[in-house]
Amino acid sequence: MRVKVQNLTKRFGEVTAVDNLTAEFESGKLIALLGPSGCGKTTMLNMLSGILPVTEGQIFFDDKDVTDLTPDKREVGLVFQNYALYPHMTVLENICFPLKIKKVPKAERIEKAKEFAKMVHIEEYLTRKPKELSGGQQQRVAIARALVKNPKLLLLDEPLSNLDAKLRVEMREEIRRIQRESGVTTFFVTHDQEEASAISDYIMLMKLGEMQQFDKTRNLYNQPANLFVADFIGSPTINQLHGIYTQPANLFVADFIGSPTINQLHGIYTEGGIKVDGDNQIIKTNHKWQVEEGSRVVLASRAEAITFNDKDDIKTKVVEYYLSGKDTLVNLKIGSYNLRGYIDATKAIKIGDNLNIGFKKEGVFLFDELTGERYYE
Amino acid sequence: MSKFKKVKKYKSDEKVTIKTFLKPTIYLLPFMLGIFVFTVYPFFNAVAISFKEDYKVISDTFSGWGLGNYQKVFSDPTFIKAIINTTQYVLVVVSISLVISILIAVMLNSVEKLQWLFQTAYFMPMVTSSAAIGLVWRWLFNYDYGILNYLLSLFNVDAINFLNNPQYSMISLCIYGVWSMLPFTIILLLAGLQNIDPQYYTAAKVDGAKTVDIFFNITVPLLAPTIGLVAIVNIISSFKVFDALYMLFGGKPGPAYNLYTVIFYLYEQFYTKLKLGYAAASAIVLFVIILLFTMVQNRIQKKYDYY
Repeated sequence: MRVKVQNLTKRFGEVTAVDNLTAEFESGKLIALLGPSGCGKTTMLNMLSGILPVTEGQIFFDDKDVTDLTPDKREVGLVFQNYALYPHMTVLENICFPLKIKKVPKAERIEKAKEFAKMVHIEEYLTRKPKELSGGQQQRVAIARALVKNPKLLLLDEPLSNLDAKLRVEMREEIRRIQRESGVTTFFVTHDQEEASAISDYIMLMKLGEMQQFDKTRNLYNQPANLFVADFIGSPTINQLHGIYTQPANLFVADFIGSPTINQLHGIYTEGGIKVDGDNQIIKTNHKWQVEEGSRVVLASRAEAITFNDKDDIKTKVVEYYLSGKDTLVNLKIGSYNLRGYIDATKAIKIGDNLNIGFKKEGVFLFDELTGERYYE
Repeated sequence: MSKFKKVKKYKSDEKVTIKTFLKPTIYLLPFMLGIFVFTVYPFFNAVAISFKEDYKVISDTFSGWGLGNYQKVFSDPTFIKAIINTTQYVLVVVSISLVISILIAVMLNSVEKLQWLFQTAYFMPMVTSSAAIGLVWRWLFNYDYGILNYLLSLFNVDAINFLNNPQYSMISLCIYGVWSMLPFTIILLLAGLQNIDPQYYTAAKVDGAKTVDIFFNITVPLLAPTIGLVAIVNIISSFKVFDALYMLFGGKPGPAYNLYTVIFYLYEQFYTKLKLGYAAASAIVLFVIILLFTMVQNRIQKKYDYY
């Protein structure tokens, strides 16, 4: 089912949890609502489920306006963060419950519940009570209970946060598999970018109630809309060099002659470079960003976008390095900032070495320091 | 208790010496003394007295040990009647008051504003003197001027002589019993309700459950442990029904001496007839009955340990 939200807003008193959000979600996809805590992602999910009434705006399921419908009328399945399995019912009774409420005949609902129990691989535990199950098993039951009523929309609220690290990886693959098998449009809330990147088709990244970027998962990494997105997505975290965008010639002359910077005309330059705070070199990349001279900017680069070729001429110092398989993660210093890159493990380096680097075209972005907005070429 | 839960016994690292033993003992002594004087000693003494034949309280003499007291009370039709009356009273009052209390507690729990006010109001009868309450109820039940008969007259029901007609005296006693049981029951049930994670209600609502579905499928089963606890506490306290009876019927066990309860029987044997042996024997019988109920309840309670 296609989901559309239009100017969706939720206020709790003075606080705006979700701010004027408009987006359209494709049918049958797995969509991650991602963001740090307090960003409004769970509020968004609860509005989709109908638990929370909206303050302003509309929600459409396909072309039907469901804004004022109660949860049961929206035909959604919801998996709670702590699963909320009914403790007095067995696994089978838990999965049957939504059907029991719908007055489905007993034999039919048991058959159906067993079918879904099999799908989530929980069929051996049907007679157990929730307290006799592990976290991962409880979650499977919760998913089966949500799916058994054939929802048009499956909503998962931080489904993996109560699991240990190993189980988390296992269960997120399970969620992906179950979602593919059932084909139901699924939203899932998480604050873990790695988790979101690993399994979702689309990610909506939010911050303080505002949508930062909604795109295909890959695009958030490759084409971040702003500095927040670039910083939030990816591990290791994106490198950030703060500095001034400047025309190289002027600074070169000024530097060369050793006198204060000469007066210059301010304008848009595409040939400029970045003078990183605390450092004298002007970093030139292969990009033609349209930036006003003298702007405070952030040069952000993925670790894998840093090259160590012979012709590279940006001078850095090795601060620390970590061996990790065929690559070495090396921590470099430029001016007042640190930078991480992957260098071939066969290359011998030691702390304090001078190391020249360069930037690839891909995975390197320029942002306005103040607004975080991205400069495009 | 779940078989997955391992209960570890607390063991202090401190070595037990006479000194470490004495210090807490001194702290506990005043309390222990009270318990011993007013509970432990009287209990064992009552057991002993119940087996003493021809026990005279004034001279503290008896003719020998035996089951004479028990034979006497069990052959006394008044005592048999007292047991039947008491059991009837317990079953009626405990079940009716539980049902009413659950409904009121659920309603109170869903009230968002002024909950403290309602809670206080419902708790008032607990802290009001039972003599005053007895007086009030005598007026409520009054044949000529009582408000209950006035309300009945609105529905064209003839006035009922609640207090003086033996036919209705049990009903009157039960009405009073149910009423006086409500506050304590409601408070405990409210505490139980507040322990239920509201997420279960949300989950059930998303699953399409209506208020009635939620009540029977979620609220009542999850409240069952509390209901069980409250039931046993109420059963025990209703088996000891005495002051209600004494108050409502002016010190008589019912208008025609028809409403003996076990405690009233005990009271009469002890206080007016000075038959301490019979009184002790009837007390022990009541003790055994209550013990049996408690054991059964404990068994059932274990079935409802969900968490």
